[in-house]
Amino acid sequence: MAHRIAGLKHISNALATPDQLSNSSSSIDGVPSELETSIRCAGAQLTQDAGVLLYLSQDIIAQAVVIFTRFWLGADGGSLRIYSAKDVSAAALYLSAKLSFQPTSPRSVLNAYNFLLSPQASPLWFVNPQGTPSQPPATDYYILSEGSYQAGRLVLLRIESVILRTLGFDTHVALPHTIALTYLQTLGVNNSEVSRRILEHLNAALLSPQLIYVTHQPNALAVAAIYLATRENGVKLVDGEWWEVFDVDREELGFLVVGMQSTEGFLRKEKETWKGRTIPLVTEEVDAEIERRRMMEEGE
Amino acid sequence: MSASKSRWAEDDPETEAIVAQRKREKEEKRRAKAEKQRLLEEASKAQAQAQAQAQAAATTPADPKSPSQDINGDSGPPKKRRRLSNDPDAPSGGGEISTSEGSKKQSSLLRFPAGEWGPCRHVDNFERLNHIEEGSYGWVSRAKDITTGEIVALKKLKIENAPDGFPVTGLREIQTLLEARHQNVVYLREVVMGNKMDEWLTRSGSVYLVMDFLEHDLKTLLDEMREPFLPSEIKTLLLQVVGGLEFLHSQWIMHRDLKTSNLLLNNRGEIKIADFGMARYYGDPPPKLTQLVVTLWYRSPELLLGVDKYGTEIDMWSIGCIFGELLTKEPLLQGKNEVDQVSKIFALTGPPNQQIWPGFRSLPNAKSLRLPATPATSTRSPPLLPRSRFPYLTNAGLDLLSSLLALNPAVRPTAQQCLAHPYFREDPRPKPKEMFPSFPSKAGLEKRRRHHTPEAPKHGQDAPELDFAGVFGGAPGGDAGEAGAGFSLRLG
Repeated sequence: MAHRIAGLKHISNALATPDQLSNSSSSIDGVPSELETSIRCAGAQLTQDAGVLLYLSQDIIAQAVVIFTRFWLGADGGSLRIYSAKDVSAAALYLSAKLSFQPTSPRSVLNAYNFLLSPQASPLWFVNPQGTPSQPPATDYYILSEGSYQAGRLVLLRIESVILRTLGFDTHVALPHTIALTYLQTLGVNNSEVSRRILEHLNAALLSPQLIYVTHQPNALAVAAIYLATRENGVKLVDGEWWEVFDVDREELGFLVVGMQSTEGFLRKEKETWKGRTIPLVTEEVDAEIERRRMMEEGE
Repeated sequence: MSASKSRWAEDDPETEAIVAQRKREKEEKRRAKAEKQRLLEEASKAQAQAQAQAQAAATTPADPKSPSQDINGDSGPPKKRRRLSNDPDAPSGGGEISTSEGSKKQSSLLRFPAGEWGPCRHVDNFERLNHIEEGSYGWVSRAKDITTGEIVALKKLKIENAPDGFPVTGLREIQTLLEARHQNVVYLREVVMGNKMDEWLTRSGSVYLVMDFLEHDLKTLLDEMREPFLPSEIKTLLLQVVGGLEFLHSQWIMHRDLKTSNLLLNNRGEIKIADFGMARYYGDPPPKLTQLVVTLWYRSPELLLGVDKYGTEIDMWSIGCIFGELLTKEPLLQGKNEVDQVSKIFALTGPPNQQIWPGFRSLPNAKSLRLPATPATSTRSPPLLPRSRFPYLTNAGLDLLSSLLALNPAVRPTAQQCLAHPYFREDPRPKPKEMFPSFPSKAGLEKRRRHHTPEAPKHGQDAPELDFAGVFGGAPGGDAGEAGAGFSLRLG
């Protein structure tokens, strides 16, 4: 029997139900599932980069990505044909920053997103397929006008409330990062290279198409990252099934290790698939992409 | 009446009728419950049978693996994998990997309580019954869940002109309440919304917290009571409040608005901390925080002197104020404004000096403070509060109260230290919760039952002129017919 220990909420998360994983609002609205995966992953990257531009710490950014990911799951979740991924990303970031020790203003958030979504100035490959411009781009490409700021602010705050409603106001996200470092110390490893690699794995896993942050508890993610990082660096850990000490069984560990390792390949493939094109982050673009696919199918 | 009857029993026929009816109702409820239980048991039995049959059908004797799968799959105690199938009765597939090596040793892994998320329901799922005293802790009403019939408290969040979107205080209240699951913290069941929630920016959108309903808040109760709680009862209450607070602090949550009106009490002697509108997470080292927290009467001196980095000590000061209020039934420090509050505090504790509160001079508002030059006489730190203010408190109790109301925040005990204080272990011991008296609930619209006992004669009144002529039989329209009988027959 699972013991109910008070205070475990602090290091555990609400997980997606099987129902939520197998049905999404977007798929009901006719968005092909691989397109949904692409958009979700691009939105997560967008959130990450915007967070970096806003000087937010990684725990806030990671929480925002998890909230962004949760939002699209399940038949009661958000649909990509109703809500623009870019708006949900911005609102998720704004919301998690608001709850943290580093709140940020709507204006800063909108400025960052305006820059990252500019087709001329953006350094993101899925927004600006030409790649980061070598010259500093002209400022008109990314300066936010007062009018667009006012309009954007209303959208930001409205989507924030949509997120809250969709998640039933449960904004709690426990992260594996600090747990992993604590476990690593417990295992007697004192190696900064390993620690760095663990954090890299955990941050990369935020983009995982298997959505492991919403299907597994932080302790399991932490153990998987430790397993990978120590293996890659040739650091020897204690003999025996040490992961069981951290309440992770072999099967779960195996799944997560494979999932984390595959993220890199997945992202490479995404870049290949979308080569020279942009990933639709706005509802109209999603509609257009679905229409394009339909036309191509009919043409064949 | 027969001698065997308790002398406390009411012998008024009306009450008796009510008691009888209550008994009948209880009996009815019990019967309904038993019936339900029986039906459930039958259903589960039938299900188990069906399952056994299905399994027997699936297990062909030619398959050598199946018996071991039975052992590890269905009946083995630790579940090896989070079940991903929708059908709860399907035999778990996790059994197969553990057949070879897993069966040798059964390691028990901790399973985390996996919650779920889902969209908000609409407030129309609740039928509003009555307002619970407005203003005492926000706009709260008593309501009934239409589907389950349970009585809950609905708290409407104040969302007025929100330039930054959903107010961060409301978000913190929800987040901390969802995370602080403890028997002495009010239970937040869910968040529901009124009409179109995204429209609060423009108009009437609203958000409600659905919480367990508790019959009383401590403030109203203290106002209604004629006598303060007994010492044993005070200990029970205080232990529970501090226990809840200890949990909050261990979860890095500061309440920042502890006061008697935010402490809810039910009729089973359980007290719960409520109203997390000011609550927030804190860190170590403490981040810069606003000093505009805590209701004035419960606000600590360092907040009043304008400190911007503070910790859980401010909650402990409020606990001291609540302790004092429980003892005397009156709020301890009723300042009219910040300045008056500070002077009331110093009147109780004595003015601060460098010895008992090192460094208080460097607080922002302390510059303007003019203090009488007091010789540092007290050897105790913190100094004891004046005995005369709390005449019925034991020495240990006064020691605890004085340390909670220590001017120097560093000296105040933590919630954990407070729980270990000898005051709670000396006689009279804390009263068991089950023995706690119950009271009519104002929030539940119950009235105190009127006892028609005559009042004691008032001092200084004129003695009434009395005519004892009618005492024996001579009353007009007398009941001579029954005279002489050994009993009297009461009708009705």
